[in-house]
Amino acid sequence: MGNELLIGAVAYSANAVPIWEGMRDYFRDTAEPIDFVLFSNYERQVDALFAGHIDIAWNTNVAWVRCSRRSEGEARALAMRDTDRTFQTMFVGRSGSGLSSLEQLGGKRVALGSRDSGQARILPLHYLAEAGVAGDVELVIFDSDVGKHGDTGRSDLDALRSVLDDGADVAAVGINTWHGLTAAEDDSVTGLEVVWESPRYNHCNFTALDKLDAARSDRWVDSLLQMDWNNPAHRRVLELEGLREWKSAELSGYDSLIAAMEEQGIYDEW
Amino acid sequence: MVNGHLAIDLVELMAATPWGSVASVDVDGVDEAEFVQRWAAASGNYVLMVHADRVELLRGIPPDPLEALAPERRPGHRLWVYTNFNCNLACDYCCVESSPRADPRAFGVAEFRDLVAEAAACGVRELFLTGGEPFMLVDLDERIRVGVAAMPTTVLTNAMLWRGERLRLLERLPRDGLTLQISVDSPDPGLHDLHRGSGSFERALAGIEVALALGFRVRIAATLGDDVGDGEARLRSWFDRLGLAEDCLVVRRVARQGAANSGLVMSRSSLLPEICVTADGLWWHPVAAIDPAMRVSASWRPLAERIGEVSREYRGYRLAGEIAASSFPCA
Repeated sequence: MGNELLIGAVAYSANAVPIWEGMRDYFRDTAEPIDFVLFSNYERQVDALFAGHIDIAWNTNVAWVRCSRRSEGEARALAMRDTDRTFQTMFVGRSGSGLSSLEQLGGKRVALGSRDSGQARILPLHYLAEAGVAGDVELVIFDSDVGKHGDTGRSDLDALRSVLDDGADVAAVGINTWHGLTAAEDDSVTGLEVVWESPRYNHCNFTALDKLDAARSDRWVDSLLQMDWNNPAHRRVLELEGLREWKSAELSGYDSLIAAMEEQGIYDEW
Repeated sequence: MVNGHLAIDLVELMAATPWGSVASVDVDGVDEAEFVQRWAAASGNYVLMVHADRVELLRGIPPDPLEALAPERRPGHRLWVYTNFNCNLACDYCCVESSPRADPRAFGVAEFRDLVAEAAACGVRELFLTGGEPFMLVDLDERIRVGVAAMPTTVLTNAMLWRGERLRLLERLPRDGLTLQISVDSPDPGLHDLHRGSGSFERALAGIEVALALGFRVRIAATLGDDVGDGEARLRSWFDRLGLAEDCLVVRRVARQGAANSGLVMSRSSLLPEICVTADGLWWHPVAAIDPAMRVSASWRPLAERIGEVSREYRGYRLAGEIAASSFPCA
């Protein structure tokens, strides 16, 4: 125990432990060794970041937007996964439903995930509003994993089940869930198909506040970006965390979520 | 048509399963089992076992247990062939119940040529011919020549039949690439003969002398029963006096197979496989070549696929064993 950077992450599954033990092992021999703390929800984690109990938070997009607003723009996004730059929401219906646009969803039942999930609730409501059908759909809500910002994927899966069981016509889910479902590339098995896919947006990032010395965070990011998919020692962590390559952070991909949270009045709501 | 919920259940199940742990998903029929296997391969998970009604999946891709084995111990490095099952002896521990009265079930020369050619093509590096007593076959030399031409070949024998026509057959055999593995269970003639038959010790020793005099590489193999006492130490002293290389002695325990009513218990999950072919099919290991539970398939063809099947099954046992060991509850 010494001067390690302390990273916060949310324990959205049992695999949070091997991921962060793997990260700790990787950083042990770098310029900025780390330790980690696991939280049960993102709200606790963000509070800990502002209280100075952790140096860096591994945040969802929703947690990042709220950190940025709470810090009045002083929060810094340090790095993200390659998959965080290309995240999407997929609206999924039964195969052969004939649906192919959001405008066709007027009068339909739309299954949405947890209220703090950017991909399965907040952004889908934003897209429905943009398409002019937000007031004309019947929402079927699954608040299955509140506090985890949709990380468990559970509310996405509950929404998809409701489509298969004829409890909804369409479900909105994260692209990671859809890719997991269709890994075997066998649409006839799942009986589901994409009705509409959203533009790309950003998802998670490593968030720090101004009080973290920039030289330290720069050194840490430099080491992070050197993790290598082709190195078996790094591979397991990268696979479990859902990326092939760490990238530096870029912020334009959060604009749609900021707009959605403003529209829905949940910018500051925890 | 596969149940549409299956993919959703799989995603949820494996997301909740800790890395390196096992999860089981129920399946209804072959289509669903095959879908689960395709999904696992595409999603970075590992199929541990496929049962009739469920598939066991390991979260993540584990290190291959086969890679931990020395190359010569991996399935498919060695190939055993039972040339025949009849024997001039009727040892009381024989793992395949060979005797003079046993149905020979000889492995034909033409099929043997096909087998050796396919074995060489798919990477087999050592060939072992056993029985029964292989030298009961008067055309054994043809098979040996085919084997030696392809890879190092060992013939297991009791060395008791090398007289007359069979001595001339022995004399004609190639020396390079051929090892004669001769059974001697004890330096004590009484103990050896007790299990293998009266007078067998003296004739085996005579056979060893003949083989050495003809310039063959000879290996001694002993099978020790519960009554061995200090027999292994005495056996090793006797072996040292033969002046053979140290790696020319093989000592193993009686297996509870065939005629043996005691000895080591063998199962596919507890025995490192050595692919074995007989006239009756392909087996997990030569020590259990009449045990129905150890038969892998009725045919050895295509050999590469069969070796692959055995390797996958062994890998599953090893991984399941390691997982069980790592989670052994103390209370």
